[in-house]
Amino acid sequence: MSSRFVRRAIGAACVGAVVLLAILGPWLIEADPLRQNLRAALRPPFGDDLLGTDHLGRSVLARLAHAARLSVSFGAASAASAALLGTGLGLVAALRGGIVDRVAGALCDATMALPGLLLVLILAAFAPGAFWPLYLGIALALWVEFFRLVRTVARSRLMAPEVEAARLFGFGDLHIVKRHLLPHLLPALGALFAFGFGASVAAVSTLSFIGVGLRPPTPEWGNMMTELLPYYDEAPIQLLAPAGLLFATVLGLQLLAGRDTK
Amino acid sequence: MNAAPALEVEGLCVAAGGRDLVRNACLSLRAGGILVILGESGSGKSLLAHAVMGTLPAELDWRGRIAIGGIDFGALDPKSRRAHWGRAIALLPQEPWASLDPLMRAEDQIAEVHALVGRRTWREARALAGRALGTLGLGSAGGRYPFQLSGGMAQRVAVAVALAGGARLLVADEPTKGLDAECRDEVAELLLSQARAGAALIVITHDIAFARKLGGEMAVMLDAEIVEQGAIAGLLAAPRHAYTKRLLAADPAGWAPAKPVAAANPVVEAANLAVERGGRRLFEGLSVAVCPGEIVAATGCSGCGKTSLGNVLLGLLAPQSGIVRRVSGADAHRFQKLYQDPVSAFASGSPLGVALDDVCRRHGLPLDAPSRILARLRIHPDLLLRRPDQVSGGELQRVALARVLLVDPAFLFADEPTSRLDPIIQQEVMDLLREVVAERRLAMLLVTHDAALAAGMTAKAVRVDARLDAGGTLAAL
Amino acid sequence: MGGVGRALADRLLQALFVALLVGVLCFFLAEALPGDQAFRIAAARYGEDMVSGIAADAVRAELGLDRPAWLRLADWLLNIARIDLGVSLVSGESVFEELVHQLGSTIGLSLAALALSALVGPPLGVFFALRAGKLPDAIGTAAAAALRALPSFAVGIALMLVFASWLAVVPAAGYDQPQSWLLPTTTLALGLAATSSIVSRQATLAVLQSSQIAFARTKGLGEFDVVRRHAVRNAAAPVVAYLGVQLVYLVEGVVVVESLFAWPGIGHALVHAVIARDIPMLQGTALAMGLLFVLLNAAVDFACRAIDPRVRHA
Repeated sequence: MSSRFVRRAIGAACVGAVVLLAILGPWLIEADPLRQNLRAALRPPFGDDLLGTDHLGRSVLARLAHAARLSVSFGAASAASAALLGTGLGLVAALRGGIVDRVAGALCDATMALPGLLLVLILAAFAPGAFWPLYLGIALALWVEFFRLVRTVARSRLMAPEVEAARLFGFGDLHIVKRHLLPHLLPALGALFAFGFGASVAAVSTLSFIGVGLRPPTPEWGNMMTELLPYYDEAPIQLLAPAGLLFATVLGLQLLAGRDTK
Repeated sequence: MNAAPALEVEGLCVAAGGRDLVRNACLSLRAGGILVILGESGSGKSLLAHAVMGTLPAELDWRGRIAIGGIDFGALDPKSRRAHWGRAIALLPQEPWASLDPLMRAEDQIAEVHALVGRRTWREARALAGRALGTLGLGSAGGRYPFQLSGGMAQRVAVAVALAGGARLLVADEPTKGLDAECRDEVAELLLSQARAGAALIVITHDIAFARKLGGEMAVMLDAEIVEQGAIAGLLAAPRHAYTKRLLAADPAGWAPAKPVAAANPVVEAANLAVERGGRRLFEGLSVAVCPGEIVAATGCSGCGKTSLGNVLLGLLAPQSGIVRRVSGADAHRFQKLYQDPVSAFASGSPLGVALDDVCRRHGLPLDAPSRILARLRIHPDLLLRRPDQVSGGELQRVALARVLLVDPAFLFADEPTSRLDPIIQQEVMDLLREVVAERRLAMLLVTHDAALAAGMTAKAVRVDARLDAGGTLAAL
Repeated sequence: MGGVGRALADRLLQALFVALLVGVLCFFLAEALPGDQAFRIAAARYGEDMVSGIAADAVRAELGLDRPAWLRLADWLLNIARIDLGVSLVSGESVFEELVHQLGSTIGLSLAALALSALVGPPLGVFFALRAGKLPDAIGTAAAAALRALPSFAVGIALMLVFASWLAVVPAAGYDQPQSWLLPTTTLALGLAATSSIVSRQATLAVLQSSQIAFARTKGLGEFDVVRRHAVRNAAAPVVAYLGVQLVYLVEGVVVVESLFAWPGIGHALVHAVIARDIPMLQGTALAMGLLFVLLNAAVDFACRAIDPRVRHA
């Protein structure tokens, strides 16, 4: 019980710190994340810039904060879209059954046939470096998790006597979703949302790192690491900082999600 | 070995955090004898059995003397006690189908005990396992996996497994739990045959009829204490303790038979029904009519379609053929149902009061509408602040009845509403139902597996498992 | 048994979905690219400066690029069905030939990583479960949770910096020496082992607390026999089933790790094809990765059936 509390507290602290950096960082830090100054390249930390500068003389702290804003909003947006789509379709499939259920199930099977990253990679070829293929691809890969959870739980709950009793009393679908389905779904949906959030933050950094996601000069943790990798010897802190933030975000979200939902 | 009693327990106490769960229990059982420990849920009877076995959860404290076949078993450290498991004392677990290894064939689960505990060669062990299965009438089932066995078959395999190590004392923890009522006699016969073969038995149960079948000695438990002990036949014929008397009075077998009700225009009637579930025909040619103020009992073995009959009358299930006619002018929501497991009939996340408020709002009733009904059913309003899993089964079934009465029902389908309740609570709920039916002129279909209970509630019954029965009186059965 | 046929049919359907999804997406990708497709293909065939309007027209007529879109889509999919994957727009080589070259290194890397993670993860998970709540369990579980939160490229960079650059004991990239296998395999295996140790730990804990194990004890078996004959197999069933979920991580990890370590496999080629927008190559590599995923899934299906009779008879 208490170890679960400790895990949640650590998770909340990690996520809270990154979210604060994402919201307040770009405001409080005056430096422009894009302004180059080649004479100030690879300055060490704790000088004019708290975390030093990169190989083009840009403030690493400013770039980290802007990248945090990008990652956090990207992760939240794709996980939220996936959650809305998956939950909605899952509820409709379970409530309506029949052809609706079969079509939604086939859509789900088709999406799951391919590992999510492959789908994102093909979509990324449509518009290299653009934001929308990543968002679309990751949200598409994630919605099936929500759909499958919601459909399975809702299906079994709808067979339960409590739902039969509610129907005998004349209650409609909305009441049944609100009283009999959502209370059973919300904890697992919350965990799944946190997992999906973490997975999409990790995915966008991974894709940017291997050169098929967001491209420089956009500040993004993954492509910051690509850019700084050749300078690991001169600028280890600058290279470690984005990795550390990425790690804190994903770990924090996984700890918040609690035990494995799979 | 036969000289020493199979089991002697003196001054056994089990406690959790200073609270007594079993208080000062004394028991004695001769070799080959049967001892039934009877009590309702929470009385401590299962803990007593686990204390004897040495399988109490680590967080419980216990003290007292336990001797098995002359060995001072209780004085041993846990490791030495474990060395006697299977060899001197064995446990038949609750719901044995969940206790067999799901990945191992039935015969192998018996044979491995002969081989690894009895130190025989695997060839001998397999032969012994095959013979044990044959004796239990399971000769062909040795190659099956547990999920391919029925509950009764798994029970028999588990008995063979438990006794394969040569134990002379078998502790059976609620052996009828989760089994169909008609399996009860089979289980009793199975246990009796083990006793005839020389095993001493301790049987934990809440079921008086089952205890009566077993015979032997009985100890009645109430609130952590053994309140009465003696030979079963004598004890049931002349109980001394007040609790035992109430328990026996609550047994439907002793209820006064119900009187017939004058016939009236039926609220719902069905003619020539045939129903199938999963491609299997449950019954056909069945006709039934339920009039205001009348209880009709639907009886029969489990799986025969009693519940399906009720669901057809409610309109939840379409019959394959036949006609269902409801009285004209009654809204759909005036046909209601009481469930076997009341916990499952309420939204688990909300307090009970919310469930009643929802119904009031849905049907435009004032929010104080439940108060009179609650008072009539003797439900304390504080109960409504709790969630369904926080009240007892009997209280919850009364709240379920209150919710049903809110919508002024014309017909009520009560689906085994007391089969999960202790006997005394069962009697209270049944009395209440009888009163409500009379006061409200309610038509009720009561599904039950218990013929005695049916006879105590009504004179009119349909037997669903007689495929072509057209309804009749209990006396004719 | 009918169950085998059913499982095979499910996987065949999945393979069909993979082919359709990849084929249709790549067709639309080809349609959506700016510029004239005929010009691009002619350029790939004859070289950038040899392209003329006549050559492009010849290509257009030959490939039927002037026909309605749905006919061209049907044609496109038919080519996939005939395993005619076309020619790489970058190298000019047959895509199929290139895939055959790359397949070996990808399968080798995947199997090596799976084997390494299977040697490390589940035994550690069982070890942690048997010491649940004690210090080794706490440290091990925390380490596994941390490792699982690190994307594979970050693990790869860390290993690369420590072992290839600072300690200089292994090569950072390439495929030519036996030591080259160390870093990519370890990177992939670490992530897989972290998850499988967590799953094995949970499965073992659940089994040890189950009523089956309690009964195995009370019927007289010693603890060693209880674990050997009952606990291990019952814990293995969910762990192997979870392998199916892990395959997604494996395939995704292969793409990332191959790119990071310049491993000459399909994943590396896939990423290059995306960057170069080499559509035939992209389609071929995505198909190969997807079908490999289906094949591994089928293998997991059969392992589950072998362990659990309930799956076999379902």
